[in-house]
Amino acid sequence: MCKQSGAVLALLVLTLSAMVFLAEPRADENGSTVPPSQHTPSDSNSLKLLLSQAVMGEKVENLLPVRPAIAFSVGIGQVYCFTAFDPVPQPTVVFHRWFHRDELSTQTRLRLYPPKWSTYSVIQLRETDKGPWRVEISDQEGHIFSILRFSITD
Amino acid sequence: MTDLLKIVSSFRWQDAVDIIINSYILFRVYVLFQGTNAFRVLVGITSLWLLQEVAASLGLILTSWAVRGITTAAAIIIIVVFRNEIRTALQARNLKAFLWGTPHKEQISPLSSITDSIYQMGKKRIGALLVFPGKEDLAEVIHGGIPWDGKVSQEMLLSIFWPKNPVHDGAIIIQGSRVIEVGVLLPLSQRSDLPTFYGTRHRAAAGLAERTDALVVAVSEERGRVTVAKDHWIKPVPQPEDLAQILKKHFNLSDGLPEKEQKRERVKQILAGVMSLLIMTGIWFGFTRSYDTITALNVPIEYVNRPPNFDILDASTDEVRVQLYGSSALIKSLRAGQVHIRVDLKKATEGTNMFPITQDNIVLPPGVFLNKVSPPTVEVALDIPVSKELPIQIDWVGKLPENLALVQTSTVPEKIKVIGGSKILEKVHTIYTTPVRLDDLTRPGTLTTSLVLTPPSLKLATGTADRVTVNYTIVEKSALEKK
Repeated sequence: MCKQSGAVLALLVLTLSAMVFLAEPRADENGSTVPPSQHTPSDSNSLKLLLSQAVMGEKVENLLPVRPAIAFSVGIGQVYCFTAFDPVPQPTVVFHRWFHRDELSTQTRLRLYPPKWSTYSVIQLRETDKGPWRVEISDQEGHIFSILRFSITD
Repeated sequence: MTDLLKIVSSFRWQDAVDIIINSYILFRVYVLFQGTNAFRVLVGITSLWLLQEVAASLGLILTSWAVRGITTAAAIIIIVVFRNEIRTALQARNLKAFLWGTPHKEQISPLSSITDSIYQMGKKRIGALLVFPGKEDLAEVIHGGIPWDGKVSQEMLLSIFWPKNPVHDGAIIIQGSRVIEVGVLLPLSQRSDLPTFYGTRHRAAAGLAERTDALVVAVSEERGRVTVAKDHWIKPVPQPEDLAQILKKHFNLSDGLPEKEQKRERVKQILAGVMSLLIMTGIWFGFTRSYDTITALNVPIEYVNRPPNFDILDASTDEVRVQLYGSSALIKSLRAGQVHIRVDLKKATEGTNMFPITQDNIVLPPGVFLNKVSPPTVEVALDIPVSKELPIQIDWVGKLPENLALVQTSTVPEKIKVIGGSKILEKVHTIYTTPVRLDDLTRPGTLTTSLVLTPPSLKLATGTADRVTVNYTIVEKSALEKK
């Protein structure tokens, strides 16, 4: 009897902690994170992390990319790489690796949480950043989900 | 004493061969050109050169400068003015005669039949003029000859000069045992001291003898007298034996010279040989045994025996600075192309290989020695050429109008195959186009552009076009915001 009530208590604590954890939006080291829209209960182990949207934009507002494009004037000051993952079977991290002419310029580590998650990274633009760029979106194992190519122009 | 021992101990067999070959060349020049005007001028120029060297060493600025000018001009003049003599000397009948033959071995036609014919013509009062060329070419002095090329015989000589023969008035040229030309006109002598009874035939004989080293025999039509002209002398020769002796001497036939003269000639030749040896030994020591001059050269590195499956990806340096020493004459004449630095890549492996630059890698001209080399090693990175398919990215430049946005692009083809070193290609992930300007683009469209291969060692795979088609979509920014 005592053993049973212990197990129920433990289950209750775990459920509560998960709810608290999922309800709070979190920020990673470099980028920003937007909160999950909905939590869909499912069997997380059978699903695979999928990139549902990846786009470069002038900014991100209300969890959506603004003015997506592939050529940005250096005058706009910053450029965003917006990615949305659906589903996210379990908490994980992805990377946005920014390359300027095949040279790694910066990389951003972004956390993802089930059931789906949108996140972005951003770089500040300088005159020297003009030229062709690419952003590789990859997981911890180095698997590349997508490569976004764009240019910073006058 | 120590220096002498050093020289003797470092004397190689190649050095002895070097001296002997050059001494023999000098000796042959003497043998081939002796007695000609060209040889005398050659001696003159050599003396001028020596004078210039002495003047320069004594610090006589104007003298050395003037003599140098004269020597330079004289060297050109000798070639132009004495081209015939040089040609004659070098036109040996065969290589053996050129390299080994001496003037003693020149063969002449049956002299007895010539002398007999000459005196027979004298007795019969048949006028004749016979030319026996020496070493000099007569082409520019004589005129109007008719080629004959007939073997000398008594009957033929008599028939040529037979008064009713159309060519009997001119001279004949006898070379070896053949009459090569008849009816030849000779230049007349302008001398005023010739006897008055000498007619045109004798003046022609004297004229040619004065101008060349030929021997000319004239037979008087009126008196039947035989006269011989050589250099600046002309004299009657009444006896056939005397004429035979004169001809033998002219052709340097040994039995034509008295024994005393033969001996003198032999001594002269031996002396010339010894002098050649001494001169060349002196020059050789002057050239090679003084190590008083140092110079430095930048020499490009040559890589040899590169394994066929490797490419040279990088090298720490393309050229090496070598410091060399030797005699001033050799160092002054040294050119970069004479020094080679070869690095053997036979045992090289993939990646960075270090090779020392030592005496073994450096090929120097004889008599020049290595003092220092910088850098002492060279690093060479080798790589295996591979092919890789890479995506193409457009390098947009310029600026779109404020209200427009470039939202989509694609290239045809999307990827391209390039060939390059595996290590290089590891770091290359994209092939970019040449810059494409946005300024003039206002609506969706298509354009073509070329590719930029960076680094330049990359090459497009065979059959790959270097131009790509770019499709682009441009929209109003307001339309994007509505979405």
